[in-house]
Amino acid sequence: MAEQTLNIPQLLVFIIVSILAIRWYLAKPAPAGTRPAGANRAVRINPAHIDQISNMFPQLNRRDIAWDLQRNGGNVANTTERVLRGGGLDAPPPSFNAPAPRPTLTSRTATPVAKPSQPDLITRYNLSSKLATKSETATPEEQPKQKAWSQDRTERQANLQRRREEMILAARRKLEEKEKAKNSGTSA
Amino acid sequence: MASSASKRLFKEYKGLSSDAPEGITAGPVTEDDMFLWEALIQGPEGTPFEGGVFPAELKFPKDYPLAPPSMRFLVDVWHPNVYPNGQVCISILHPPGDDPNHYEQASERWSPIQSVEKILISVMSMLAEPNDESPANVEAAKMWREKRADYEKVVRDNVRKSLGL
Repeated sequence: MAEQTLNIPQLLVFIIVSILAIRWYLAKPAPAGTRPAGANRAVRINPAHIDQISNMFPQLNRRDIAWDLQRNGGNVANTTERVLRGGGLDAPPPSFNAPAPRPTLTSRTATPVAKPSQPDLITRYNLSSKLATKSETATPEEQPKQKAWSQDRTERQANLQRRREEMILAARRKLEEKEKAKNSGTSA
Repeated sequence: MASSASKRLFKEYKGLSSDAPEGITAGPVTEDDMFLWEALIQGPEGTPFEGGVFPAELKFPKDYPLAPPSMRFLVDVWHPNVYPNGQVCISILHPPGDDPNHYEQASERWSPIQSVEKILISVMSMLAEPNDESPANVEAAKMWREKRADYEKVVRDNVRKSLGL
């Protein structure tokens, strides 16, 4: 009898101890497991690597590439091989944030600083001579309208050229008139 | 591949020449190279771009129409969706896969059923209505948002300058 009553607290102690032991055992690998994951997260994916792969396989989503690089620790060769083996890359979970800065964006915005100012259209299309003559002639609408498409290659080219020039000259004339009207309006 | 691309481009050139949309002129710089076009777009009316004519070059990839062309304005265009070097940033010029921000609908992006004409019309409406979500020219976007009058003045000055006045 005494042995039996003694057994129950013993059993309880044993159960509590074993629960604690199991919990301790289960909890132990968890931090050990999260630590490498945390280290993984700290792997900064180089946007240049994403670009590199993206250039090789333009069909791939940049986010998928970033996710794959993230998982293999930024190994470009590994990801490339994975793509080449067939199948695509796994889609990242929605919570995954691909590295935001797109270096193409910054380089694009950075380059034009040195860019010289564009020449105006009159210079660009060599229209200064036509500027004077055209404004003296009657309205261009009166000229017979040539058909826009021709079987002859050079004629086609000439037609396109002419339509371009007309478009620019018409815009220039219109703006000139507007300017003149505005000036006379202010002086009057 | 390249020959089917140039055939398609030739067909589009013919279509655009015989039945050009209002305010748009486009064609190859020379027919020897169908992969480089030059287009003129008229500034849409009722916008500060009104009265202007904007030349742009279109570069087509060898696998056109699978991949979209790139487009670059050849005059200064002060616009939230135009990079300071003239490169146009608009959803129709982006292939369906290339969208890290997920703000563009797949249907708005490039696909082989689109065309040069649709690109140019889209760019024309882009001039009228900038897309504030992905500014290519951050300065212009900021000005457009906060100092609209200044923005319109820059655009108008550029128009006058580009026409040599």
